[in-house]
Amino acid sequence: MSSTETGAVGGVSPLRAVVEVVARALVDNPGSVKVTETERRGMTVLELSTAPGDMGKIIGRQGRTAAALRMMVALTAEKHGKRAQLDIKD
Amino acid sequence: MSLTEQITGFVQNVVDAMGLTLTPRIEETPDGTHINLEGEDGGVLVRRGGEGLQALQHLVATAFRKQLGDDNRIVVDCNGFRRDKDAELKQMARFIAGKVLSSGIPQEMGPLNPYERRIVHLTIAEDPKVTSESIGDAFMKTVIISTKN
Repeated sequence: MSSTETGAVGGVSPLRAVVEVVARALVDNPGSVKVTETERRGMTVLELSTAPGDMGKIIGRQGRTAAALRMMVALTAEKHGKRAQLDIKD
Repeated sequence: MSLTEQITGFVQNVVDAMGLTLTPRIEETPDGTHINLEGEDGGVLVRRGGEGLQALQHLVATAFRKQLGDDNRIVVDCNGFRRDKDAELKQMARFIAGKVLSSGIPQEMGPLNPYERRIVHLTIAEDPKVTSESIGDAFMKTVIISTKN
């Protein structure tokens, strides 16, 4: 995969890409995974939605899987000099 | 495609998506299969005590839970960070076991996460004169090492 100067991979930003790759691997219905990305006051806000039955798989026991996903988002943001927030829509 | 190949593919996809330049190398160790991510971007996963590596390990374990089963462990490593930490932990467990044997007084280790506790229990089990037990009901628990009666 090639990266442009902004760190976008194949036209998708690294932040959105990492959420998509991880979320699709966790759920039963990868086709229903949707990630949107908006800028709000200098922060990138990512919204993740899945098929209704898959949300528990994203969150995990005691929210541990969601915490791991947020960690990957935070490290990606740090790497690219950004601030990011992940909203999991249920 | 083997499970190791599938997991390696997933890990590669994640680090590519993050924009990190890292190359996975498969290493068969006495402790199981390690997928060692090598490259100068490794610092992103390794910093702050390897938080990123732990998160990635959790995501692999969750995404491949059914295929992995109970015993089949695949460890995600980065520039040998995990391997070195594990070696340190084993050395510490042996050192504490030695103290327990010479003093007869039980000693604590931790708090440790499940992965670290497993390493300590396996290391302590190598010596028939000592035994180990986890205490606590949270994710992180303390391991008590004592002499076996």
